[in-house]
Amino acid sequence: MKILLSNLLAIYRRELQSYFTSPLAYIIAVVFWLIGGLFLVALLLSPQGLIAQAAAADQLGAGAQKIDLPYEFLQIYLNLLGSLSMFVLPMLSMGLYAEERKQGTLELLATSPVTNWIVALGKLLGVVTFYTVMLLPIMIAEAIAFASSQPAFPPSVFLLGHVGLLLLAAGVLSLGMFISSLSASTVLAAIMTFGLVLLLWVIDAIANIPGIAGDALSHLSLLAHYTDFVQGIFDTSGLILFLSYIVLGIFLTAQSIDTLRFQRS
Amino acid sequence: MPESIIAFSLGHLRFCLGFCPSQGEFIRFIQTVAMIEVDRLSKRYGSTVAIKDVSFSVEPGEILGFLGPNGAGKTTTMRILTGYLPATQGTARIAGKDVHLDSMAVRQRIGYLPETPPLYAEMTVEGFLNFVAQIKGVSAGDRPTRITSAIERCNLQEKRNVIIRKLSKGFRQRVGIAQAIVHNPPVIVMDEPTVGLDPRQIIEVRNLIKSLAGEHTIILSTHILPEVSATCDRIAIIDRGEIIATDSPENLVERLTGQGGYQVELRGEMESALSVLRSVPGVVKVQSEVTEGLTDGHFRYRVTTGSAEDLGSAIATAVVTHGLDLFELSRSRASLEDVFINLTMQEPTAEPVLDLGLSDLGSSDQGMSETPEISEISETPETAVIEEDEIA
Repeated sequence: MKILLSNLLAIYRRELQSYFTSPLAYIIAVVFWLIGGLFLVALLLSPQGLIAQAAAADQLGAGAQKIDLPYEFLQIYLNLLGSLSMFVLPMLSMGLYAEERKQGTLELLATSPVTNWIVALGKLLGVVTFYTVMLLPIMIAEAIAFASSQPAFPPSVFLLGHVGLLLLAAGVLSLGMFISSLSASTVLAAIMTFGLVLLLWVIDAIANIPGIAGDALSHLSLLAHYTDFVQGIFDTSGLILFLSYIVLGIFLTAQSIDTLRFQRS
Repeated sequence: MPESIIAFSLGHLRFCLGFCPSQGEFIRFIQTVAMIEVDRLSKRYGSTVAIKDVSFSVEPGEILGFLGPNGAGKTTTMRILTGYLPATQGTARIAGKDVHLDSMAVRQRIGYLPETPPLYAEMTVEGFLNFVAQIKGVSAGDRPTRITSAIERCNLQEKRNVIIRKLSKGFRQRVGIAQAIVHNPPVIVMDEPTVGLDPRQIIEVRNLIKSLAGEHTIILSTHILPEVSATCDRIAIIDRGEIIATDSPENLVERLTGQGGYQVELRGEMESALSVLRSVPGVVKVQSEVTEGLTDGHFRYRVTTGSAEDLGSAIATAVVTHGLDLFELSRSRASLEDVFINLTMQEPTAEPVLDLGLSDLGSSDQGMSETPEISEISETPETAVIEEDEIA
């Protein structure tokens, strides 16, 4: 057990280190922060922003419907952030295994006393950590906005929404990792992972159609459950669904690396 | 209920039967001391046979060279040994552990340098070695000393904190070797360790490999002949997936050439020179050679001796005592290269190599009457090979 943990830690640290030494990772982070920050400013402070709308509603007096401004903001913003992440995540996961295959280091991992699933788990933890680091400055900016809210906005709703975002990202990254393990080309992995993201959107769209198919799919849709989290509803079935996607991704990755040994090379 | 009991006992019996041979093999293993033991290993990719019935063993501290043309199955064998690929049939054991059944234990005891060294370009040499030591299971306390010793072993001291991306090919290869020895494994497997290096780097890497022998058992693959004769204690020649010879370099040359030969340049009458040379005991055949380009009165002769015995001094004495002037006396010996080409170019069903070479030469004699002497006693198998092809 101790050996497994130290292996996991070694893989995790190497993976994380590779992000912090990669120019591409920095570019991705900067673009993410830039667009995320732009959304934040536009949503709150622009002339058509939420604050301006609320001020206009106040001027109309009692006739207008009262809105919970911080809550509205959190929902819209997390949905925007989720959509932005869907473009960013394939670029984070594309290199996870494709790069190792290209550099030939997969042969080192496969001939070391480390199991495939430990490698997969370590890598996933590494990339999720990097995504969390990308998310932190944006969370701080949001927290500053929420700090000026009166009455105080409940931090639990704020945290739950972001935990939901992290779980969604982890699920997509886990499946992206599997896709990355299928080929030695990072570009191909990125395109295929983006295709998967589109598929998730399609599934979510079908899930919104009433009927048996829609009902069944709504239980499997990552995005539908993410919306629950964003609304501040903690649902065990949602948590289990996210974890299932993560475990599925790790399992498929380990299997795909295992079958690699049986291919001609 | 009774059925289930029968079924159970049948299963039990089958289990016993299945298990017994492997126990027998285990006992057999204990009796031998081989560090690497490969027993009738076969690997098929679909319908293509990559290796077939490969068997060999390597004693502790030995360097075994795995020699063969490209595509002969060297890399496949290496990959099976390291547990990267499963074998279709047969067993391989490293330090007594089966590479397939006890894969994790084997991986801990093996250092592997694939054809392209597996390096993380963005890491420093030391950081990379630390990572490898970690995943190879070196305990945290031993890591610094193991890393330092691997770095010193491979002469990487001044590159310790350099990012691998910035290293030259030769240094990268050395980091690759350091990576293979950092956990002090009893067995090191290297796939073409000197490919793509310049001559000076090749010598450095060879010396490094030689210095590792003794405390490590090494198996290395190559298609470069001087490499095996320079580094290895023993050679296994593999061709089209089958081992066709395993022996020390010297024995291989001796076994497969059998006959020795000399080239003699003399001044004097040809008839008497021939009879003088023939009178030397042990000489089987003497032939005069082309004299073009030689000074007038000088003649060249090819002397074939029956065994690998050295007759040089006897020939010299005979020549001098009979009043002939000796200008050149050189030994012509088949090189390892000849042996290799001879071995790998023959048809699998052909008779022993030397016979094949000579008989082919003999039969082609009539066709090449211009220079019968040369082709008749030539020991260079290249000629033999070309002619063999012509006949075919």
